[in-house]
Amino acid sequence: MATTLTINGEQRSFDAPADMPLLWVLRDILGMTGTKFGCGIAQCGACTVHIDGKPVRSCVLPVGAVRDRAVTTIEGVGSTPTGAKIQKAWLDLEVIQCGYCQSGQIMSATALLAATPHADDSDIDAAMAGNICRCGTYVRIRAAIKQAASGRQA
Amino acid sequence: MSAAARIVLSVAAIVVVALVAGLWIIRGPGPLAFADGPKIALADYHGASPTGVPASLAQASLVERGAYLAKAADCEACHTAAGGKSYTGGVGFKLPFGTLYSTNITPDRETGIGNYSDQDFLNAVHRGIRHDGARLYPAMPFASYTTMSDDDALAIKAYLFSLPPVHAPAPANTLTFPFNQRWAMMFWSALFNRDSRFEPDISKSPEWNRGAYLAEALAHCGECHTPRNLAFALDNRQKFAGAVTAGWRAFNITSDKATGVGAWRDDDLIAYLSSGHAAGHGTASGPMAEAVDHSFSQMASEDIRAIVAYLRSVPPVTSTDLPATLAPPAPASHKDGGAPNARGKMVFEGACVSCHGWTGESPVSPVATLTGALAVNDPAATNVAQIVISGTRRNTAADALSMPAFGNAYSDDEIAAVANYVTARFGAKGSKLTAQDVAELRKQVSQ
Repeated sequence: MATTLTINGEQRSFDAPADMPLLWVLRDILGMTGTKFGCGIAQCGACTVHIDGKPVRSCVLPVGAVRDRAVTTIEGVGSTPTGAKIQKAWLDLEVIQCGYCQSGQIMSATALLAATPHADDSDIDAAMAGNICRCGTYVRIRAAIKQAASGRQA
Repeated sequence: MSAAARIVLSVAAIVVVALVAGLWIIRGPGPLAFADGPKIALADYHGASPTGVPASLAQASLVERGAYLAKAADCEACHTAAGGKSYTGGVGFKLPFGTLYSTNITPDRETGIGNYSDQDFLNAVHRGIRHDGARLYPAMPFASYTTMSDDDALAIKAYLFSLPPVHAPAPANTLTFPFNQRWAMMFWSALFNRDSRFEPDISKSPEWNRGAYLAEALAHCGECHTPRNLAFALDNRQKFAGAVTAGWRAFNITSDKATGVGAWRDDDLIAYLSSGHAAGHGTASGPMAEAVDHSFSQMASEDIRAIVAYLRSVPPVTSTDLPATLAPPAPASHKDGGAPNARGKMVFEGACVSCHGWTGESPVSPVATLTGALAVNDPAATNVAQIVISGTRRNTAADALSMPAFGNAYSDDEIAAVANYVTARFGAKGSKLTAQDVAELRKQVSQ
């Protein structure tokens, strides 16, 4: 089925069945491999993208359900003010270890700060609990979110 | 006659009258007794026929007509095990007194129905009697199918006989005494199976009669949605008032405005039946999702409309345990709303919120929206716990969305905690499930 989506501000057209998960479209059809496949059942957070600014697991979202909503991926999130702040904090604190989950972490963290600029610990728990990191970088993730929120070194 | 004899006779008469009255009370009214217009035999009815297939299939072959009717009767849902071949049976129905298995209804001569004559097939479908004369248990809904016309039942037979025969013996039932005595079902049938075909009500529209036939003789809605009496027969005094069947709650589908479907718009009911979802009313899962996938979604739109017209006429019964008003969306912040339940919240924020959101209105798809669903407003949380355990998959015209099964990922305690959190946050009244309740719910599911 011919479909057109707005991804990172650009119109992208492709052929895909309506029930194909958005993640498949992004990675396999459009070649946007920054978004990762983790568990495939919305339980690890590695595939998180934004739909109209809200964090969504793209591995279970049928592309037909996106309709006219704007998609933002890790490739485009740095061009939003909050995304840029988060990415800078991630670099400053060297959050990443192996990196596989980090696109998803950054997407969830950006959505959190965009909605709740002064996130406290319980906000971070509520927004980030669904993003799993097997290297255990959680402490640095929390510190980086706080730094991005305050603009100061944590 | 002596005084003593008169007393004995009087007592005997009173006992007989009491017994007959007792049985009559237990038996209750028939499924269509609420429609009190004059009823006539099908052959004498001059309106559009309530039986058979929709107009688009009027010229179709017997096998094609049978295929449609088999879908409308949803034979496949019970006669196909998960991962098994269609119609080969083997689904286990877990009852308090053992497990009962559905059988192979492909035309295999040894393990299926290949040896059934037309009369044998009618005996099974209308009367619950097997080819070998043994009685069927009413898990096979013959007390509903008994209203099906002979022509329609035999069209279904022709369809089943067009399938490739598959050798698939049914697993042995594990019912305990006295429930393993099939012959005793003779008494059950005598009392509770009316063994009579559909009789149109001439005071009602042809559409209503078609809907009544579809809902009663084919779709057998009442088998899950009507509560059962002590003898496990449908209690039509509470017709369609809702019941728990196979561990899932089939909700009230009477015309009651608050707790039934009386306040649903026609379009909502049509959408729910044909796609398994209606905006603001939640999404079918469990056995109703199967009914939608195998049956309602395959039915002609005029048949779905007829069922809706019929549902509208079912007298209202109030489910007193359900709230009169469903809960609105929950607060956007995780800090507000619900009851304190740290463990439930921890599970929810890790596993659920990414699809269902903190408000209950899904950022992913309306199909995953919790707001407005009866399941989250049910203070027993039966279906919330079940869907967490087994997950679900919805196929709609536009997309397909699935919820993973968490039954093996979380303990009974965690499932109880998250169900209590979800009903408190998104429903009118929070549930109080315990790990023990969840363990019980796991045991009741058919598989």
